[in-house]
Amino acid sequence: MNLHDLVSQLIIDSTGSASLITPDSSLRAFLPELVICATVLAMLFVRLFRVGRYVDMFWIALAGSIAALYFAAPWDHLGAVLTADQAAHPAAVTRMEIFTGMLVYDTFSVYVRSALFLFAILFVIFTRLSGIPDHEDSPDIYTLVLGATLGMCLMVTANHLLMVFMAVEMASVPSYVLAGILKGRRQASEAALKYSVYGAGAAGVMLYGISLVAGILNTAHIPTIALTLAEKFSGGLSAVPSGELMVLALGALLISVGLAFKLSAVPFHFWCPDVFEGATAEVNAFLSVASKAAALALLVRVALGMGVIAPTGFAPGERWAKTHQNAPATTPTSTDKTTDLFYIAQEPVTAAGAAAAADSTAEPAKLPAMQSLAPVRSFTAKLIAFFAIITCTFGNLAAYGQTNIKRLLAYSTIAHAGYMMMPVAAVVAMAGIDNAGAARGIAGLAIYIAVYLFMNLGAFAVVAFLRNAMRSEEIADYAGLVRRCPLTVVCFSLILFGLIGLPPLSGFIGKFAIFASLVDGWRAVEAAGQPGFYLLLLLIVGGINTAISLFYYLRVVKVMTIDDEPADRPPLVYSDVSLAGAYLWLITLPTAGLIVAWDWLSEMADAAARNLIG
Amino acid sequence: MLRPPDGLVADGITAIDMDSFPPPITVSHYLVVGAVLFVLGAVCMATKRNALGVLMGIELVLNGANLNFVAFGSRFLRQDTLGLDGELMALFVIVLAAAEAAVALAIALNFYNNHTTIDVDHADDLKG
Repeated sequence: MNLHDLVSQLIIDSTGSASLITPDSSLRAFLPELVICATVLAMLFVRLFRVGRYVDMFWIALAGSIAALYFAAPWDHLGAVLTADQAAHPAAVTRMEIFTGMLVYDTFSVYVRSALFLFAILFVIFTRLSGIPDHEDSPDIYTLVLGATLGMCLMVTANHLLMVFMAVEMASVPSYVLAGILKGRRQASEAALKYSVYGAGAAGVMLYGISLVAGILNTAHIPTIALTLAEKFSGGLSAVPSGELMVLALGALLISVGLAFKLSAVPFHFWCPDVFEGATAEVNAFLSVASKAAALALLVRVALGMGVIAPTGFAPGERWAKTHQNAPATTPTSTDKTTDLFYIAQEPVTAAGAAAAADSTAEPAKLPAMQSLAPVRSFTAKLIAFFAIITCTFGNLAAYGQTNIKRLLAYSTIAHAGYMMMPVAAVVAMAGIDNAGAARGIAGLAIYIAVYLFMNLGAFAVVAFLRNAMRSEEIADYAGLVRRCPLTVVCFSLILFGLIGLPPLSGFIGKFAIFASLVDGWRAVEAAGQPGFYLLLLLIVGGINTAISLFYYLRVVKVMTIDDEPADRPPLVYSDVSLAGAYLWLITLPTAGLIVAWDWLSEMADAAARNLIG
Repeated sequence: MLRPPDGLVADGITAIDMDSFPPPITVSHYLVVGAVLFVLGAVCMATKRNALGVLMGIELVLNGANLNFVAFGSRFLRQDTLGLDGELMALFVIVLAAAEAAVALAIALNFYNNHTTIDVDHADDLKG
């Protein structure tokens, strides 16, 4: 193979065809991220010119996020089940490994990326209303926020261990700076230092784990890792050399350290309360929603990617070449070569299926491969369940004694990370036993992410607006607020009740979906004759924790409504009837009203889960 | 067995030392060095009081992983390898480590401006 062939194959892989950018090309799938890149560059360049200093970066950031959401187009791709004909259309989204297998583009990436872009839009408006980046700082903050969002999009779509590490770093490094964005504040600089030191340490440990796993398995491409593991474990666990098994387990544990840090899972959570207290409420909203959603998506990608044989998808440009076979633009021979060169993932399948070249004969080879991966799934599921149990319990217990509202919400974020890890454990345990149930579990997680986005953004928005109003973030200073700004207190109470998961509010929908997936998982795993007690344990722990969380959320509500106003509180400069108040209601509306009509959300979540498990 | 040159024996290094690492250099030798770097880095991160010392520990950890990548990718050490992926990952990590160090140093400088020290023990305003 000469250089010319190589380059032309790379072109086909990125653009889909030799002469034009097709709808099923890598670049088209990556368009939302490219828009974000362009927005970041525009914000940096505009400042170089004298005129640009007067431009309000808010508008550029807002336009960029809206354009990204528009190109991500969840309304197009998250619909009903596609028929085979529809899936063969170049613009349809099924599973497609883009950029030579580094990233994967499927409905799950569409869903989570859309959630991230929607959050970016709401967040940019929120920062405008709360006024934290002034005109001087706004290019910096928006650049960092959108840069981190780009990293999070890569986390959502990562399909290669290198991309896992790169994406985590791309999301983390701007977050470190964001934590310390307030100049001359002791606490902010301390938060940034703690975050960056812990974060870099966790990333380093994760990288070492990646090097072990990739080195033992001779690949870093996650679907190929699953195939290699299946081949290794095909003779049962005892057939694998014990040293190799130990190194693999060690590597998996080290990788889980990095993921747990991003999820703020106990025992790698200690940065979270400190960073949340030191950083501004705006940054907290970003870290607690976007960062957490992306980390969960990455957990799903890594845990499912290594434990499940990936469903077959299309290569970039493949469908376009099929539907436009007679078009002069395409060069059919080189598309064939593309699959040869870059899609090595298919090779081990054929090796396992006894030199089966055609797809029809490779398919049945999947089943034994899935079965031989059962020990990997059981190990991963138990590891995630362990993290979920201690994270959830510790987060809720520690939140109980907090006096600072940001710290309280930080522990609440930790607890919610625990809740959100529960369905992942159930899904990994169910995969290969009850694939439909596993898909429902993913859908439950997707619903929880969407619901949680609005609840936590709303909570931090209230904190930011009240901080502007009275320069205090102590819960004690919230006493008797209901007499000053009743509408805001109602909003905040609705959000807090939503975070508990009380029935009429959206938090209940999320919790219900998650606990349902645990019951599904327990039943399916027990029916298959494997130990599923840990899923039942997760369910019990989740239930008890919901009860515990009632106390500390309700305490805030009680302080705001029943307690008398403190005499020494700073004067409150705030009105319910303002843009900020309207924004709060806009954010609270989905929390309060989703129960009336959540079919559309459930349908989108089901669509998101469709292409993950074969 | 490869015998050490006479000069080395005279300097006190005996043939027994050479036996524990038999002559053909394998991946394991590199892994041992990588693991030593990793552990040193982790210990450095955990024990150093100075923020810059902690950052150096992080660099050691990253370089331990890098050594693994390159060793696993080298086709002179074993038959099945990680291939070019190994070298490429090492390259990316080097670049990322530089970016991360730049940001972390800027944050350390900011911390110094506010606290007039970079002793991480003085970062104790936030707790609970």
